[in-house]
Amino acid sequence: MREYALYTGCVAPTREIGYEMSVRKVMEALGVELKQVDDFNCCMPACLVHSVDYTRGLALTSRNLCIAEELGLPLFTLCSSCFGNLSRAKHLLDEYPDIRRDVNEILGEVDKEYKGEAQVEHVVTVLHNEITLDKLRGRITEPLRGINAAPFYGCHIFLPQKYAGFDDPEFPDKLDALIGVTGAQNVDYPEKTSCCIGCGSFFGEVSEGASVLLAETILDSAKGGGADCIVTTCPFCIMQLELGQLRLREKGKEYDIPIVHYVDLLGLSMGMEPEELGLDLRRIDTELLLEKIGG
Amino acid sequence: MVSHRELLEDLLSEEKLGFCNNCGSCTASCPMARVIPEVYNPRSLLQRVNLDFDRLIEGEELWLCAWCYRCTERCPQGIQPTEVFLLTRNFASERGNIPDNPRTIMRRIAETGRSNPYNEFIDEYREENGLPPIGPTISQKALEEQRRIMGEDFIRRIEG
Repeated sequence: MREYALYTGCVAPTREIGYEMSVRKVMEALGVELKQVDDFNCCMPACLVHSVDYTRGLALTSRNLCIAEELGLPLFTLCSSCFGNLSRAKHLLDEYPDIRRDVNEILGEVDKEYKGEAQVEHVVTVLHNEITLDKLRGRITEPLRGINAAPFYGCHIFLPQKYAGFDDPEFPDKLDALIGVTGAQNVDYPEKTSCCIGCGSFFGEVSEGASVLLAETILDSAKGGGADCIVTTCPFCIMQLELGQLRLREKGKEYDIPIVHYVDLLGLSMGMEPEELGLDLRRIDTELLLEKIGG
Repeated sequence: MVSHRELLEDLLSEEKLGFCNNCGSCTASCPMARVIPEVYNPRSLLQRVNLDFDRLIEGEELWLCAWCYRCTERCPQGIQPTEVFLLTRNFASERGNIPDNPRTIMRRIAETGRSNPYNEFIDEYREENGLPPIGPTISQKALEEQRRIMGEDFIRRIEG
């Protein structure tokens, strides 16, 4: 099985460590080797760093691509926004020779050069495209019959298509297919391709309020579809939809819909214990969901 | 060096922005515009980039784009509002107009190499759950190289 350079990003190792546990556990069981790399820097979100200096921002992001090239390993991202941001940098450097020249001029100051060979992957793209549904099917020992799982795609794993390229930009179905492998029942609901506004939630009071308003819409929609849980591809979506529920609880609206990542469902269907997958560390209790799976 | 000014000029050239049909696909696709329509409207923002640039870069609306790319994906004319807004923010930043929260996060990135705050409880918590420590900052080598790539102008802008 292939080896990847683990790119944890900022959210998973500091605020979603249950998710990081889950990824490590499931990937180990699938024989995927995740190399620990100490020299990566932050992906430098375009909405922040590239907004202050477009070209230097791209150089900062691309420094990570250079390290992956030096190692000769594809990047394995845990966060969809890291995936989107690194994919965007790769796209801009690959398609626009002027941008690549300028970025490489800056990278030259630290003896780095982007050569165009870096490959950017994400836990879900690896599961779907590299390991494949067929192989995953063969690993399922405890199919999750009896639960309704609502897929939530997020943004940067598939938008825009020219950067991410993982799925159809209007009618994505790969997360649905992955959920199907675990034996869970897919919930089709209007908000499944909505945005959690995670990336726009930290610009102040207005944007924070907006993210709660949208969380309410998403949660209402999933609940209306009979969801026992919402299944994301991204730790930022987990955080937003959990924190959104806590904020809405203060306003008297109770949802109690567990937010899990796809690897959590996969791990459970492969017979792993909830604690090994960090499911006891969630902000929204997962016990009811686990009872339903157990029963 | 191609400046952000040239990149923006290219994205906003008459051949490109001139083709905006004013159809509103961007606004109809926008998660922000959906929940706070009275505050945020990408169609109007795009027009203001063209017609009301100086006032636009003084305000905070420009910073409300949640960077989801739905407008960019759907624009029937191939205009890229997300990239246009990112580039336009460069002009706001040049004049020191960066809202407080983004400024705080970027300072943190400059100091620690991470966008999320660290405290010692994180590594205790990680250890309890069998995960390796991350330490208060990214590696010193990475931090030093990051500082050199950022350059003095960048640091000055986020220090404000």
